[in-house]
Amino acid sequence: MSSLKAAPVRTWHSRTERLTDFVSRWAFMSPAGLILLAMLAYPILYTFEISFSELDLSTFTATEWVGWDNYAEVLHDTRFWASLKVTGVYLLLSLPLQIVLGFGIAYLVNVEWAGRGVIRALFLIPMVVAPVVAGGVWRMMLDPLYGITNYVLGFVGLGPYDWLGDPWLAMLTVVIIDTWRWTPFVVLIGTAAIMALPRDIFEAAELDGANWWAKLWSITIPLLLPMIAATFIVRWLGAVKMFDIALAATNGGPGASTQVINLFIYEEAFRSLKFAESAAMAVIVLVGTMVLTAIFLRGSRMLEEMH
Amino acid sequence: MMRNYRNFGSISRRAVMVGGAAAVATRAFGAQGSSALGTPESPVQLRVISDAAYGIAWQASMVPEFNKLYPNIKVTIDPVPYAELLAKIMLDATASQPTYDVIIVDDPWTPQVARTGALLDIRKETAAWTDPGYDWDDFNAAPLEATQWNGVQYGVPLRSNMLLMFVNKTLYKKAGLPEPTPDLTWDQYLEQAPKLVQDTNGDGTIDAWAIDTYFKRDALTPTIWQAILNANGGSLLDKNNKPAFNNEIGVKALKTHIALLKYAPPGGVSHGYSEALQSFRQGQVATSFMWGSVYRNSAVDPKTTTLKPEEVGLQVMPVGSAMAGAHRGIASGTIHAKSPNKQAAWGLLQWFSSKQGEKWHSNALGGFPARKSTLASTPESEWLSPVFKALQQGYDTIEKGKMWRLRHPKSDAVQQVLADAVAAAISGQATAEAALQEAAVKVEKILR
Repeated sequence: MSSLKAAPVRTWHSRTERLTDFVSRWAFMSPAGLILLAMLAYPILYTFEISFSELDLSTFTATEWVGWDNYAEVLHDTRFWASLKVTGVYLLLSLPLQIVLGFGIAYLVNVEWAGRGVIRALFLIPMVVAPVVAGGVWRMMLDPLYGITNYVLGFVGLGPYDWLGDPWLAMLTVVIIDTWRWTPFVVLIGTAAIMALPRDIFEAAELDGANWWAKLWSITIPLLLPMIAATFIVRWLGAVKMFDIALAATNGGPGASTQVINLFIYEEAFRSLKFAESAAMAVIVLVGTMVLTAIFLRGSRMLEEMH
Repeated sequence: MMRNYRNFGSISRRAVMVGGAAAVATRAFGAQGSSALGTPESPVQLRVISDAAYGIAWQASMVPEFNKLYPNIKVTIDPVPYAELLAKIMLDATASQPTYDVIIVDDPWTPQVARTGALLDIRKETAAWTDPGYDWDDFNAAPLEATQWNGVQYGVPLRSNMLLMFVNKTLYKKAGLPEPTPDLTWDQYLEQAPKLVQDTNGDGTIDAWAIDTYFKRDALTPTIWQAILNANGGSLLDKNNKPAFNNEIGVKALKTHIALLKYAPPGGVSHGYSEALQSFRQGQVATSFMWGSVYRNSAVDPKTTTLKPEEVGLQVMPVGSAMAGAHRGIASGTIHAKSPNKQAAWGLLQWFSSKQGEKWHSNALGGFPARKSTLASTPESEWLSPVFKALQQGYDTIEKGKMWRLRHPKSDAVQQVLADAVAAAISGQATAEAALQEAAVKVEKILR
């Protein structure tokens, strides 16, 4: 009987405990949560608000609700579509190049040899150079008149090339600078991933007589695929935001041949002072990036499940 | 009572005399004892935002000179690269508590900044603090108009720049061509240009070219096209504020700009201000259409140029079917309407734009004066005499042809559209006709 009476007390007690636990957890989390909300959500929500409004430059506040007008204007702007196309070309060229080069170099430097640590440390340098400095230095190196690149190529009978004046070469220049800057990041991830691969599989393969190529093609690459996919997504999220290199090296030129979407948004916002239209562009790019990222993440999960 | 009155009257007369002398000193010498202009115990802190191209030199040289007269006004100039300057000005000017007391605006920016209510009506609001000898009518009309909008004067010209033609006389001589004069036409210029692409040392390699100027995608590149357009009698907008450049004159001007590229150094299509300046200073190009204020560092200062003053000519750009060409680019000083240090800010601007300040600026930093009296005077440095002559020609040309960028609250958006169009045509991504047609549609939409 007594035990029958004690049950509701325990239930009540455990409910109180759970509630106290819940409240105390949220009490500890709420300051950080509020700061996060203010720092992350507010700018995004404000961007959304501006994108549907007319912005009064004298107060920098959204004044009149204009509905989809800013979006319609952006979608009818041929420069917007041209810069999206330029961004697509840049991503198609630079991302595969960086991933292949990065993991390739990681595989090569993974072999034990003296001075490997120094080389790994040197790889970090391009990543820490300010993009504006990198763009400026490369601009000097590629100058058709004074640059060292054409001078060196001249020894093997190549060139001179107008690296920054020809639309395709200018795009290639941006890709080269971006690859120089970000491949070391891929190398670092690749090195860590290769070092974490299980040794016993390789030992078993060696016992079975597998050669270097068979081990690479049948073991290393399949095992690395999930990490390659994850690295691709991280680089994709970084590359889609790129504009500093283009700004410093080519300023989007010649013409608009290297005007990536973020450079276009930046110029429309901070040079033409069209903040509302720029906000609309930013939202479109954000949505597009999220959709593509979701597709890539799904693909990445499928790869993980396969291996 | 009578004695008291006499005493009072005596004190009053003395007070009036002392006060009068103080007032004269205040106006003439800067009222060093006035709290609005700072005291040794409590100096006034002035913050200035300006283009880095000259802001750094102003901080290093102009501020110490100013402090000889106004030791209690501490001036800090924040130099900002030109491309970012307008956005930073707008963001700060519209803040509830703006950082800057003095804003240095470029030629077309006054309507944009003034529309926000951030700028002081400088002529009206500072009248009480203005020295009687500060002669407003002495300014050339063109530079003073740069900061006029809707009948209000918002600023004073501090660095009166304009696009002019720089000439390397040595390269003309080597090519066997006569030195250009202000009467040189565009046809003559383009006829001579192929001869100015030359091998000067006889090693079989071309090492000198006819021209370097703005070709890349840059907000200032359309100014070259516009100078040619204006010289041929064209204009950006008509009387109804509708685009007027999308016609035969506009296309011809753009094709002339594109034709210049044939005689520019390799990679010229990606050249702008810095690259063109370097080519000229290193003696690689015979001409450059460039902002005149770079003359000192391009012809005089051996630390920055390989050329000497006697080698470098300066004149208006070639003559089109209507007149010679030039383009206005005045950097003017304005005061923020919310500045708590308006009197001190005006003290700085008044001195710097005064006859005395202009002369110091010209002689010390090669700054271009806006005052007729300064341009008519004999400068301390010999090299400035022909420059002053070219400047006066430039002002007259600019005034006659209304050679300036659009003066409108949306002028920067229009300039960006023009930059895209001109760059697309120069790089061959669009024909001159198509580029201007597209730009005209966009400009009309922006101004609607």
